[in-house]
Amino acid sequence: MIGRDDLTSGYHDRGPAPGDVDLDRVWLGVAAQVWCRQPGPAERAAGRLLRSPGLARALVTTPSLLLGWVIATVVILLAGLGFTLSTGTPWVALLAPAVAAAGIAYAYGSGIDPAWELSQSMAVSDRMVLLVRALAVFGLNAALGLAASAASGAAAAVTFGWLVPMTAMCALALAAATVTRSPNVGVAAGSAGWVIAILAGQAAEGRFTAAITDSFFVLPYLAFAACCAAVVLFATRIPRGTS
Amino acid sequence: MNVELTELTRKFGHTRAVSGVTLEAGPGVFGLLGPNGAGKTSLLRMMATVLPPTSGTLRLLGRDPGGYGPRREIRRRLGYLPQNLGYYPGFTVVDFVEYFALLKDMPPGQVPRAVATAIEQVGLGDKARAKLRTLSGGMLRRAGIAQAIVNQPELLLLDEPTAGLDPEQRVAFRALLREFGQRATVIVSTHLVEDVAAACTEVTLMDSGRIVFHGTPDELIARGQGHGVGDAPLERGYSAVLAAARS
Repeated sequence: MIGRDDLTSGYHDRGPAPGDVDLDRVWLGVAAQVWCRQPGPAERAAGRLLRSPGLARALVTTPSLLLGWVIATVVILLAGLGFTLSTGTPWVALLAPAVAAAGIAYAYGSGIDPAWELSQSMAVSDRMVLLVRALAVFGLNAALGLAASAASGAAAAVTFGWLVPMTAMCALALAAATVTRSPNVGVAAGSAGWVIAILAGQAAEGRFTAAITDSFFVLPYLAFAACCAAVVLFATRIPRGTS
Repeated sequence: MNVELTELTRKFGHTRAVSGVTLEAGPGVFGLLGPNGAGKTSLLRMMATVLPPTSGTLRLLGRDPGGYGPRREIRRRLGYLPQNLGYYPGFTVVDFVEYFALLKDMPPGQVPRAVATAIEQVGLGDKARAKLRTLSGGMLRRAGIAQAIVNQPELLLLDEPTAGLDPEQRVAFRALLREFGQRATVIVSTHLVEDVAAACTEVTLMDSGRIVFHGTPDELIARGQGHGVGDAPLERGYSAVLAAARS
């Protein structure tokens, strides 16, 4: 790679530099052009949509989340597909909320993000970064679910049947993780919450798929998610005034 | 004044990490000295708006960081190097510095040149495209310093910045500190008194969460004349003040 020394030595080979040429300044201009990473189409679109290049970069790079997201997606698809084909039970819909809740619990905090403390001192709020990433994942999941529903001829309600409880379980896991500062507690809370929801559906209607198929649960799920979101906001606030 | 702290206290359970600290700082390089557990890192984290105080008042760059808008404005003008710098191993030095430049809300058009300048200032130009996982401890520390200075901060907070740097790099770094101190408030937490002697215009010495000395390096040296333990005059001042505070 060409460096500052190469630039200056090459220049001196052809004689002394003119007095009005600042080679440091020239090199910085070159380095800025050579080193800088041009944002891809997704980052440019996100930057325009979010009106924040910082948020857009955080969204497309997701340095601490990418691996977890990919693993969760693969687990859900492969395990769910296998069990669904062999048993006829909608295992993807039943597994998705718990796995997503685990992913969200590990998405926020010192447990997973190595640069957590540094991120907390940034002008672009770490909570906003988390929100945008979660929205992107949910939006993509919803789009994939709707596409799959359309392809299989099933009603869109199937997708929303698991997307809504997934929102509630993710909010629960996030609230528990932020309040206790432990992603493991968040995972436990999200998983326990989902097991309780499934068992409640079993007790009420005699089938454990009621938690994802019964429209009666939609409003309670959303209300519960809103309460958990409020807890997250409260737990991550910086108190106004200090005396 | 860029930093105004009044009776600032931070408790962790029943432990008082910082206890009633009152301090003002304008432009210049300020050394924050003290033994392990003195409260230096907690104080720095509060000034970095990472840790809220339990009580007392804190104003940074003329603003109250308690409000969302002022806090965001402070963070745009802030540079912070934590004691334990976390990093993303798959990022290159440029990726790392650029990522945090964007999260500091810098105008995108200014970012490439600012990143190049910061990387050159810490002497990592030849490693600019190297992955962070391939760098030595000292190089990682310099990458951390680069992200802290990329936005030309008005308030620069550095926690043990010279840890892992070799003597040559430390000399260069002190020159960088002095340069920043011309126009910004630079607060350096360290327990290396030679860094303070070479770069700082003022010194604050903490012990058990309290400030036990505040003055110039020469004033600290004067405290050690005829007392204290240590090889260097500043070390003797340091130990004399600590001994007096604990007696």
